Amino acid sequence: MASLFKDPNKLSAYRDRRFSGTQEEFDEALLNSTTIYVGNMSFYTTEEQVYELFTRAGEIKKIVMGLDKNGKTPCGFCFIMYYSREDAEDSVKYISGTILDDRPIRVDFDWGFQEGRQWGRGRSGGQVRDEYRTDYDPGRGGYGKLVQKELEAQRQLVDYGAGSLGSFQPILAPTYGGGRHGGNYGHGGNNRHGRGDFPRKRQREDDRRGPDFTRRKSDFVYRRNPDNEPRPEKNPRFRESGDSDDDEDDDRKGST
Amino acid sequence: MSSWRSLVLRIGEKCAEYGGNADYKDQLETCFGVVRRELLHSGEDILSFLLQCAEQLPHKIPLYGTLVGLLNLEDEDFVRRIVENTHDNLQVALDTGDNNRVRILMRFLTVLMCSKVLQASSLIVLFETLLSSAATTVDEDKGNPSWQACADFYITSILSCLPWGGAELVEQIPEEIDRVMVGIQAYMSIRRHVSDAGCSPFEFIDDTSQTDGGKDFVEDLWSRIQDLSDKGWKLDSVPRPHLSFEPQLVAGKSHDIGPLNCPELPDPPASFTGIAYGKQKHEAELKYPHRIRRLNIFPASKTEDVQPIDRFVVEEYLLDVLFFLNGCRKECAASMVGLPVSFRYEYLMAETIFSQILLLPEPPFKPIYYTLVIMDLCKALPGAFPAVVAGAVRSLFDKIADLDMECRTRLILWFSHHLSNFQFIWPWEEWAYVLDLPKWAPQRVFVQEVLEREVRLSYWEKIKQSIESAPALEELLPPKGTTNFRYSAEDEDQTEHGLSSELNVMVKERVTSRDIISWIEDQVLPSHGLEVTLRVVVQTLLNIGSKSFTHLITVLERYGQVIARICSDQDKQVMLISEVSSFWKNSAQMTALSIDRMMGYRLISNVLRNAVSKTFSRITDLRKEIASLKKSVQSVTEAASKAQAELDDAKSKPTLALVDGEPVLAENPVKMKRLNSKVEKTKEEEVSTRDSLEAKEALFARAVDEIEALFLFLYKSFSNVLAAPLQETEGSLHLSGKADEMAIDPEDTSTMELDKEGEISEKSHSNGGKTTKGYNVGEKEQWCLSTLGYVKALTRQYASEIWPLVEKLDAEVLTEDVHVLLRKAVYSGLGRPTDF
Repeated sequence: MASLFKDPNKLSAYRDRRFSGTQEEFDEALLNSTTIYVGNMSFYTTEEQVYELFTRAGEIKKIVMGLDKNGKTPCGFCFIMYYSREDAEDSVKYISGTILDDRPIRVDFDWGFQEGRQWGRGRSGGQVRDEYRTDYDPGRGGYGKLVQKELEAQRQLVDYGAGSLGSFQPILAPTYGGGRHGGNYGHGGNNRHGRGDFPRKRQREDDRRGPDFTRRKSDFVYRRNPDNEPRPEKNPRFRESGDSDDDEDDDRKGST
Repeated sequence: MSSWRSLVLRIGEKCAEYGGNADYKDQLETCFGVVRRELLHSGEDILSFLLQCAEQLPHKIPLYGTLVGLLNLEDEDFVRRIVENTHDNLQVALDTGDNNRVRILMRFLTVLMCSKVLQASSLIVLFETLLSSAATTVDEDKGNPSWQACADFYITSILSCLPWGGAELVEQIPEEIDRVMVGIQAYMSIRRHVSDAGCSPFEFIDDTSQTDGGKDFVEDLWSRIQDLSDKGWKLDSVPRPHLSFEPQLVAGKSHDIGPLNCPELPDPPASFTGIAYGKQKHEAELKYPHRIRRLNIFPASKTEDVQPIDRFVVEEYLLDVLFFLNGCRKECAASMVGLPVSFRYEYLMAETIFSQILLLPEPPFKPIYYTLVIMDLCKALPGAFPAVVAGAVRSLFDKIADLDMECRTRLILWFSHHLSNFQFIWPWEEWAYVLDLPKWAPQRVFVQEVLEREVRLSYWEKIKQSIESAPALEELLPPKGTTNFRYSAEDEDQTEHGLSSELNVMVKERVTSRDIISWIEDQVLPSHGLEVTLRVVVQTLLNIGSKSFTHLITVLERYGQVIARICSDQDKQVMLISEVSSFWKNSAQMTALSIDRMMGYRLISNVLRNAVSKTFSRITDLRKEIASLKKSVQSVTEAASKAQAELDDAKSKPTLALVDGEPVLAENPVKMKRLNSKVEKTKEEEVSTRDSLEAKEALFARAVDEIEALFLFLYKSFSNVLAAPLQETEGSLHLSGKADEMAIDPEDTSTMELDKEGEISEKSHSNGGKTTKGYNVGEKEQWCLSTLGYVKALTRQYASEIWPLVEKLDAEVLTEDVHVLLRKAVYSGLGRPTDF
């Protein structure tokens, strides 16, 4: 509609390295695709929640949840296929940057789902961004995988709780299924950009960062005495953590 | 972006481009100074960019008009081309029915007139062209009054220009503008009052109680313009930057524009019957829809200090920003917040956005767009806007019983989504009293459905925690969405249990659906009968697919054939649906989703029979059924429109093939050969497209038949279902304030009893003296009201599909003895005049 503010050359800042064609072919695919990529999701967000939200932009054909390639558990992204291009465009326009499950999610056009793209591409099985993250993000398994490893190593050397970790909190990131500390996902935000000990992302694969959202203010209050202190609560959606259903993996493959 | 571009783009804003100086005069001088220097090199770019800005940022049009006026002093020819371009664009917009563009370009011409770029008399000629077209249209003898929507649009477009240039026109050519006003007055006296009760967000409302005195949109605008005229054309909402440059501007050459033509309208129907008139009227209203229907949800004290015309102008600004800046989140919110007006307009802004969410039959964009805009405005104006939004919610909540059924759904979807973006914070204690209302009371249902949608977007415990201030409301939370698998407990029938485990193993072992079918046919069906077989198979497969949306799809993809084999006819499909409902009785979302997908795989062909043939069920059930019913209607109409599109596509192909076959005249033999083979190939293609064309035509015809059968069946079913309850509740349904066709019988005993119940809830409610009707309505009455509401909403949504069937509908369903309220619901959904 308004051509004044749109930069037609910028379909997506992200270029999937696994796409085999040329940049032109990539752009072409993005321009015609009815598939979108959703990023910065919580590991706990279910398909049904995704369905409820994204169906408001149009009828959904299929959802493919991104899975940790080792644990076969959701690892914070998904692909959604719509029936129509217009609906896919609307979901990028209207849903990107809004909140799902307490997190600002990112929505982008995707060049099209192919078998295999549902798996995280990080060394530890999840998304690459969760390897190198240095912030504490309870919705995505706590600290990044590398930080977790380091914490683990240090814990074996030093007394637990000796505070030698400096800015890191003496909480070990909850392992998958250990419940979630909802609401305060921003905590640990101090170290978000702080530590340079870990290499920045080497390459961007299917791993896009959400827009750099600052912490949401909670001043949208409808009553006089707001009691909007977020309190930690357990997320009951993943009580059965490790009882991995060996059929799940196959089911998903079968469905593609 | 080169500097002149950003200056032109950002003019009127307090921004870095102008060093934070927001003074219009200073900005215009700066901008003009830069653009003037670039005219020689980038004339073409400047011309098209200026026009683009004027069209897409219409709230800044006065600034662009003045800028053009200044350029007129510099380069007459350049400005002549701007005027010509605008003229040509306007003609295109008129021809193509691009209503927004027509309106905006006319505003631009008006502003050019203010800057002495355009002769005032040229504008009058344009007005008179539109006026005379409009007057002809509504003339019963010469025109085609069923197209009044178009005529009204032309008049609206003229009137909409006057806030921007009324004062100048009166000053420069008082007689001419007076002539136009007299012409409009005459038009107003011929046209018919538009009563679009079917598209009013509040139904069954007493016409006279409306704050706008029951005026339709054009009447309302006309009165605002008259008021403006009485006040000497002075208003606060339109900046007049040209005034500071008047001494210079008068020196510019005033240009003229050529004539413009209004497109011909279709001839009136040959036989001037009510139905033929109604069909054309419907078509016209689709092409010239209403932009807004005011909600008047805030107390007058919040908006009364705004002059009538200023309210109109601000609404125009807001609707234009919403339209032109769709998809540009930041710019959209910034423009909405920074309109060039001197008064505060948060309430007006909220009301305008809500009027779009609730606009019937359809808002210009998906409701989720307005949801996003409201969120962004809450962030842009954190101190002011959230409270206004909350006020709107409270006000709509108080009136919910009068709100159209479709609007209620949209409100629920919006509200739940909005809260999900703001940590689910809401003072639920204010609404705790709905628990004392009967189950079917609209306010209670509203709360319940909002909570249900919140749970869907989040999860049960989270929402439970969000209603802490009113813990009792937990009663209204949906059941935890677990499955209700028949064979999970050991005490179930051992045979069925065994069969289910057996099937479960087979699925896990990837037994093909063909083998499962033969297992069923050889071993299960003969010894256990259909009922058991169906139950075991459906329950087991649903259970396997219950983990997620994807699991469900996978199971249906793989073993849908098994279900299809068992559920071969409609009766069995009804059993299938009830099995699905039983399995997912704790999750409305999964029930709907499963049925939806089964329809997708053609396992369920038609849920209508199930949906409507059940008589008298509770409202909550009805709600679910309506949802699947809508889906059913939608899939049929979609199939039809797809068939139609393919048909059109196929029709155009043979001609293309011929064009391709033309250039065989080439001399070069190689080329000749290649062309020949190409011709052959296209000919073959042509044959095959002809074949498929026939197939598609047949398909389309079938789809049309299917729609016809579907809707006739639908209305018959509604008529049957409603007949008895409507008889029983006769008299206690206080609907239209006019109560024209109904004999109201206040002695009805059932009402009196029910009224008592209503009183109790009224007491517990007395919330700041607000009175809310609706819950002093009995269950049966409420059921009738909701069902009628759904009939109306459904009719409205599919009006274009239903209009071609109206004759049949009249003959077969809406006969003499059909209840008057049902007829009324259908008629108002169609926007069909009752006085023909």
